[in-house]
Amino acid sequence: MTDILNPTEEVLAEAPPPTRGGGAVRYVLTKIGGALLSFAMVIVLGFLLFRALPGDPVQTMTRGRPATPEMMARLEHKLGLDLPLWQQFWKYLGGLLHGDMGDSYFYNVPVLQKIGERLWPTVLLVGVSTVIAVALGLWLGTRSGWRRGSRFDRVSTGVALTLWSTPTFWLGMLLMAATTGLFPTAGIVYTDTPDDFFSQALDIAHHMVLPTITLVAVTYAQYQLVMRSSLIEEAGADYLTTARAKGLRDDVVRRRHAVPNALLPTVTLVFLHLGMVIAGAISVETVFSWPGLGLLTYDALRVGDLPLLQGTFVVLAGAVIFMNTLADFLYRVLDPRVRAS
Amino acid sequence: MRTPSPRALAWHRRGVAFAAGWREFAKQKSGLVGLGLLVVIVLLAVLAPVITDRTGLDVTKATGDRLEAPSGEFWLGTDRPGRSVLLLTLWSARVSLSVGLIATLLSVAIGTIIGILAAHFGRWVSAGLMRITDFFLVLPSLVLAIALSTVLERGMGTIILAIGLTSWPAAARLVRAQTLTIEARPYIERAKALGGGHLHVITKHVLPAVLPLVFVNTTLAVGSAIVAESTLSFLGLGDPDPMRPSWGSMLRSAWLDSAIIAGAWWYLLPPGIAIGVVVLAFTMCGRALEAVLNPRLREG
Amino acid sequence: MPLLELRDLSVHYRNRAVEAVRNVSLTLEAGETLGLAGESGCGKSTLAMSVLRLLPTTAKIDGQILLDGEDVATMKWGRLRAVRWTSAAIVFQGAMHALNPVRRIRDQIAEPIELHSKTELSAAALRTRVDELLGQVELPPEKGDSYPHELSGGQKQRVMIAMALACEPRLVIADEPTTALDVIVQAQVLALMADLVAKKDIGLVMISHDLAVLASTCQRLAVMYQGSLVEEGPSASVIASPKHVHTKTLAAAFPTVGDPESRYAPATSSRLPDETPSPGEVLLRTSDLRVTFRTRGVTHAVAGVDLDVRRGEIVALVGQSGSGKTTLARTILGLQQSTGGQVLYDGRPVPRSSKGLKAYRREVQLVLQDPTSALNPRHSVYESIAEGLRIHRVPGDERAQVAAALDAAELRPPEEFMPLLPHQLSGGQRQRVVIAGALALEPKLLVADEPVASLDASVRGEILALLLRLRANLGLAALVITHDLGLAWNIADRVAVMYQGELVEVGPVDEVLNDPQHSYTQSLLAALPSTHPKESDAVNGR
Repeated sequence: MTDILNPTEEVLAEAPPPTRGGGAVRYVLTKIGGALLSFAMVIVLGFLLFRALPGDPVQTMTRGRPATPEMMARLEHKLGLDLPLWQQFWKYLGGLLHGDMGDSYFYNVPVLQKIGERLWPTVLLVGVSTVIAVALGLWLGTRSGWRRGSRFDRVSTGVALTLWSTPTFWLGMLLMAATTGLFPTAGIVYTDTPDDFFSQALDIAHHMVLPTITLVAVTYAQYQLVMRSSLIEEAGADYLTTARAKGLRDDVVRRRHAVPNALLPTVTLVFLHLGMVIAGAISVETVFSWPGLGLLTYDALRVGDLPLLQGTFVVLAGAVIFMNTLADFLYRVLDPRVRAS
Repeated sequence: MRTPSPRALAWHRRGVAFAAGWREFAKQKSGLVGLGLLVVIVLLAVLAPVITDRTGLDVTKATGDRLEAPSGEFWLGTDRPGRSVLLLTLWSARVSLSVGLIATLLSVAIGTIIGILAAHFGRWVSAGLMRITDFFLVLPSLVLAIALSTVLERGMGTIILAIGLTSWPAAARLVRAQTLTIEARPYIERAKALGGGHLHVITKHVLPAVLPLVFVNTTLAVGSAIVAESTLSFLGLGDPDPMRPSWGSMLRSAWLDSAIIAGAWWYLLPPGIAIGVVVLAFTMCGRALEAVLNPRLREG
Repeated sequence: MPLLELRDLSVHYRNRAVEAVRNVSLTLEAGETLGLAGESGCGKSTLAMSVLRLLPTTAKIDGQILLDGEDVATMKWGRLRAVRWTSAAIVFQGAMHALNPVRRIRDQIAEPIELHSKTELSAAALRTRVDELLGQVELPPEKGDSYPHELSGGQKQRVMIAMALACEPRLVIADEPTTALDVIVQAQVLALMADLVAKKDIGLVMISHDLAVLASTCQRLAVMYQGSLVEEGPSASVIASPKHVHTKTLAAAFPTVGDPESRYAPATSSRLPDETPSPGEVLLRTSDLRVTFRTRGVTHAVAGVDLDVRRGEIVALVGQSGSGKTTLARTILGLQQSTGGQVLYDGRPVPRSSKGLKAYRREVQLVLQDPTSALNPRHSVYESIAEGLRIHRVPGDERAQVAAALDAAELRPPEEFMPLLPHQLSGGQRQRVVIAGALALEPKLLVADEPVASLDASVRGEILALLLRLRANLGLAALVITHDLGLAWNIADRVAVMYQGELVEVGPVDEVLNDPQHSYTQSLLAALPSTHPKESDAVNGR
């Protein structure tokens, strides 16, 4: 205690600042652990939903079709429904570990194979739309939030709210009706398109126009509104006064100081809302017969194909969990405060 | 002179606060417009049995031709079986609105309880509840709702359950954040130091402070619930009874009946516009309320 | 030509009825230091912000602000931006929020240099310049790569100073630069600032509510009250013979420790008890009390504390933030679980069961630092005071009990205060309501955590006098937690000095503060800003 009288550093007064490094590995492991736990919950939920709820799967699957008691019993046996619940769960779990989610009742192929075929169209559609929607939403949100109450703000917020209030499938149907003949309204590619890469790509792009516009229109509003309000939250922050006092131009203050901070809550929400984008994708794919996972989900529920529905549920939920784990890592890169803790 | 009792004073104060809040709300044109629209639509929906005849919904008793264009008799034309689209739109409001409202109340109730519990009780309870909340928040709720309504018997109850049980996490997170803010205030510490237990802190301090926010959230969430209802009905998971149509199931019929190819815009537009207007009205009301109850957004 | 000249300056906010600044005229010559004092809301910060025209758009400026002879109020935007930070720079209050949380310190310091530099600077030159600036505020160059949250409060304030010096301005305005800091850190930062300003011949306008802080660094003092300048003159004479009533209140609010006149005599206009009653037997005792936190490593917040409080005794627990004093208070109240040792009340250990705790909490009451947040903004005064009565289901006429408590806290007549909401009261009145809420349960002991730290200087003395009267009239014991040695000198019988979770010195106030034995107590006393400018230099050894 001899150095007390000569306090060169403020060791006396304040706790030492937190040390950096070393936390990164722990952070990543925690997040991965959390994601695995979530995925385990999805798997359990996927089982409980389709097996343990008070509905009768066999009746659901044969709804609207004539079925004799023998057929129903055969189906029950095929699905393993005549076993006790816990044995069913072991079978389901064991199958999952081997990459087997059972066979599609309707397509008569393994569920995972069917999902694999339909995965890429959805990734393409959702990926392109999300990139466009995020860019558009952030740009509009930044402009309207920084000049709150301006005509630009009022108009763009009004448009965003209106589009957000519109059901996705209806907007798709309207677009379809309004642009009759200009764009293809079903499928991903015409069967008579030449096989070379360029023609194929062009045709797919042509098919993608309407679904993409629909999906962007119903999702960008979220991003715009979140960005707008987090920028408004930041608008009163003291560090912006500091930046202005330094003599920075208004747009530099916005770009260099306000936006990076306002982006943090926005990034979180962009990823949390991915589930909503999936919902949009199901509607859009249904309306435009886009052969992705959304349409597959719709077909599965239309014909009561429970194994297929179970498969799409697990895969879609797993994908969203995966994306959110990525978001956690991205967030850590963006916010030094998360890095420290 | 004996002054009025504290209870009477408290009620008087609430009255004054309400009046002030209303004046603030009334300053926002969009909020008033939204409220006006809602009043009209709800009145129409409630009075539907008085001003119209329900038998017009029965496919077997349809009076019009298939896909008749709007005329003096059918202001908004007819659908494929020949029923009046105007009548259908009016009656659909009843189902869409009640599903939206009840599902929202269910989800907000779940969300509020979980949110408050997760914030008030630390450690294990909080960690466990938030784990579950985050899980359901991330889960694509439409996929879950589809799964639920596929497995359960189809009908209004199932759709309400499916929406209510999948949309609560947002409310839970919001309420938890607000509760944490309130619980960090020193007056909670003071209440505990005075000897107040969990129940006292929650009912006297946390709930009154959280409820306005819950109210705003409810108003905003009704819109999402109505859209969710229409989407589920559009995908064919709605109430199968043709006597209980909703805007979503109307659009499903329009789609299945190829209204686009037939150019039957009168079949396509009214239900969609109705959804848009109702959702927008709820959203405008909710945002105006938010501005009243959250002074930070009001300034400037 | 003066460096800064305010001519008849008035600032009016569109949404407020009263002018924030009224007809203020001030001059500051190059290299001169001026202290601007006043209570919260007196317009001193508005004045500071108006010099670089940083006020919100709702503000309207009348009069002239001549910076190097050029009127800031009528400057074009381009010219204004060029003047900002090069002619005058600001050290903002609350460095925590004034720094951008997601950018490195180095970039934030370099930003104005890059912006205002006439020639293109190379990255290496910029780096050297920032290192040099960091060196001037006694920070190692590595700190430049830190983010704000990785620095302590004092370090952040140093960064703010380095940033202000970046473009070598001739005028620096420091707005409450040390308010959130502990005494020792405050002394360091003040000394650093005074030193740099003198070395570089910079004009300094320093704003504070604390006359002692200003007097120890500034040559001249100006006092503001309700938007107007009420007094101005050389520091020594303003302190020694204040002319305006308000200056007198401000000067008297912070007593000189060791001055017998202010012992048991906080600055107040009300009557103080004639004599100091002698304390009774031990009411509360902690024996070897320990609290250990296990988040991110092990922290011994309270490391074996033995402390007694007798009936009718006022004990001051003094320490800096992070010393564990608040944790100790919370543990005594049972709001925090101890990890070792025990708290004895009236000879019996304090129960841990919720029922036993409830009974104990009738006897021991808490008064919090910030009365604004210690009252539920939705509850009226009546409801806030009746809260404790209702929790404990105290029998009897509730209204009469509330009235009696209000009367005891000297809020008279009680009926007028009952229906009011907290925001309708002044800061001092709110703290009285908190005290009344505690008194309603007729406790034996008050635990007060920084009871006057967030109150204006003129109210401080009144609340302290109330505590003294409550002790004299009701025999109430109090454990007052504070960072303020002057407070201990004003009211306490005994003082306990806490440092890193331990009590390093306990004893009667007169003994401990006049003749400190432990080196930590000595350094605390040495760091107190003195109202005599020359002494402070000697104290800080710079």
